[in-house]
Amino acid sequence: MSLEDERVYSAPREWVHVHPVSPVLGGWAAFAGVVGLWFYNGPAKADPGQPRELHVSILLLAGAAVVAAIVAIGVGYVSWWFHTFRITDEAVEQRKGWLFRQQKQARLDRLQAVDVVQPLLGRIFGFAKITIEVAGGSKSGIELHFLRLADAEALRNEILALAAGFRADVASARDAGHEHVAKEFSLRTEAESFRLAPAPGSARTSIAAAVERPLVAVPVPRLLLSILLSWGTIAGAITMLVVVVASIVVGLLVPDVNVVGALFGGGFIGVLTGIGGMISSALKTLNHGLNFRLGISRDGVRIAHGLLETTRQTVPPGRVQAVSFSQSLLWRRRDWWQVVINVAGYQDNQAQVSTLMPVGTTPEALLALWAVLPDLGDPDAPGTVARALVGQGGDGGFIPSPPAARWVDPWQWRRRGVRATDTALLIRSGRLVRKLTVLPHERTQSLSLRQGPLQRLLGLATVEVHSTKGVVKPVAHHLAVADAIELLDAQATRARQRRSLQTPEQWMVKVGISEVRDARE
Amino acid sequence: MAATRSRPTRVARPGWHTSGMTWFAPGAVAWTAASRRLIPARLISLGVVLVPALAAAVVGAILLTPFLWWVAAAIAVLSAWSSWITVRIVLAHGWAERDDDLLVKRGRMWRSVTVVPYGRMQYVEVTAGPLARAFGIATVQLHTASPGTDASLAGVPADDAARLRDRLTSRGEARLAGL
Repeated sequence: MSLEDERVYSAPREWVHVHPVSPVLGGWAAFAGVVGLWFYNGPAKADPGQPRELHVSILLLAGAAVVAAIVAIGVGYVSWWFHTFRITDEAVEQRKGWLFRQQKQARLDRLQAVDVVQPLLGRIFGFAKITIEVAGGSKSGIELHFLRLADAEALRNEILALAAGFRADVASARDAGHEHVAKEFSLRTEAESFRLAPAPGSARTSIAAAVERPLVAVPVPRLLLSILLSWGTIAGAITMLVVVVASIVVGLLVPDVNVVGALFGGGFIGVLTGIGGMISSALKTLNHGLNFRLGISRDGVRIAHGLLETTRQTVPPGRVQAVSFSQSLLWRRRDWWQVVINVAGYQDNQAQVSTLMPVGTTPEALLALWAVLPDLGDPDAPGTVARALVGQGGDGGFIPSPPAARWVDPWQWRRRGVRATDTALLIRSGRLVRKLTVLPHERTQSLSLRQGPLQRLLGLATVEVHSTKGVVKPVAHHLAVADAIELLDAQATRARQRRSLQTPEQWMVKVGISEVRDARE
Repeated sequence: MAATRSRPTRVARPGWHTSGMTWFAPGAVAWTAASRRLIPARLISLGVVLVPALAAAVVGAILLTPFLWWVAAAIAVLSAWSSWITVRIVLAHGWAERDDDLLVKRGRMWRSVTVVPYGRMQYVEVTAGPLARAFGIATVQLHTASPGTDASLAGVPADDAARLRDRLTSRGEARLAGL
């Protein structure tokens, strides 16, 4: 145990394998799958009158489970043998594939996010998987599973340091002679460094993790209550109520007993399905939202969350493409907001990785916004956003949708509006579920102006701002045509101007803290 | 391979074929209209479906039951209507290269203008199916990091398409910015 503290972990410059335990961690899932299948099918189908045969079937199935696990692990080891990675000053490189060799490169100047993910087993035994997201098409990111937690952290720290532009620091740390431990894998070093359920950040790494300043932590009771009061729960409850009432009413009106039974049964099944769906979605939110902590560091925003599987995300400065606030009806009294973000590179599991804050008060939501977009280009940024969150019509300098919009959008038109600050565009919408989208001008990919036949009749048009793939889709619906055209034109100009002032990809170079030996361009 | 000599790119004049888009007309922008060869190309691909259906209905009406004349009439009306729509859509389609961005306009009933900054282009794609090749036209599609960008230029004369692609690419490189 004491040996562990003396070890200094660093990222590998030479090709190394991922940890040899990886296939076992993967094979475990196959084993569990077969055992689960047996529990599901085996005992139920066995005849209780013949205990001897039941015994045999148990043995057979248990054997099948073991064989399946061994095969899965064996195949896993073959692919493990061909799965290597290394880090250079420019990129993280990965080689994998047995029949079809694949070599991938994640360029660090295109880095968008680094996530350290620990499934339950990984947490118990101290392993983690690391996901490196870069800008580019789908599947351009690199996923390494599994590494020792300390190795994963060392790799993450070095990736972030290199991407920030601290090349000199990384080089001097390397010259200090820290060896990558996984390179000379042996059972002895393994046994010495093994610790059950190590705490994240406890191991020493050649590049220390950037100091993190915690901003927001979501208390468990609040998360539970927020799920209970969320829009999905309300909608589910209303649907169930309607089904029950309808089946009872129809049942009372129709004298035939069988019909009553059928309808009531149908209603009951509907209700059960509804409850099942609600519970599973609530559990998912709960699992991902528990222990939610948001912090800020030199390397960008840090987001940590998860009950069984924990995820620790780092999104460097300037990588957030768009931010959206939303507030379901029953959250209004408590002044709660949910904040989600678009990050380029996050392709899958959007719901899991794109939450900046599952639930928080207005001041906390503003703090979260400040963490990802520190400069809103407004002298009173918090006030402006806070007013935009609850305002309607022309409040707070917004360009509202004209009254004619009520014919195509009777419910939300009063809330709809847009406002541009020097650096970002604010789009307000939603009446029952209030929404506000904030989009930095320089992150605009493209713009479009649309008009349908009804909108033309009413003199309206919709402006759409295209952001990278993600949960936030910024659209300003039903503006007056003149306003929409002006917005399109002005937004194109603002986006161009802001792009030219854009911070460099290596975020620390701009601040001048680091002297980069070979700065790009 | 271009069989037909392409006409010089026409600059849209304020006439009937641009009147549908007068709602967004930034000053001093030269719109290039989609090649009219796109009209027969689109009509043929429409006809591939509708003409056999019409023929089947007519044959059925003669051989089986006169009721099918109604179906034939309905298909005929549908063909006429969708051909008219097709022509209108092609005539409304056009693009303009500005200093820093490309404008793409499309649609009559549901109309839209898309602004794609050159610095945001990830890559440019030129495609031409067999029918399009026969008519000497191609489709130039611009891709940004956003899946929402719908910037495809249909009906670019084939020999203009490659030049347009190169021009767009070089402008994109000159203005390329990080995401």
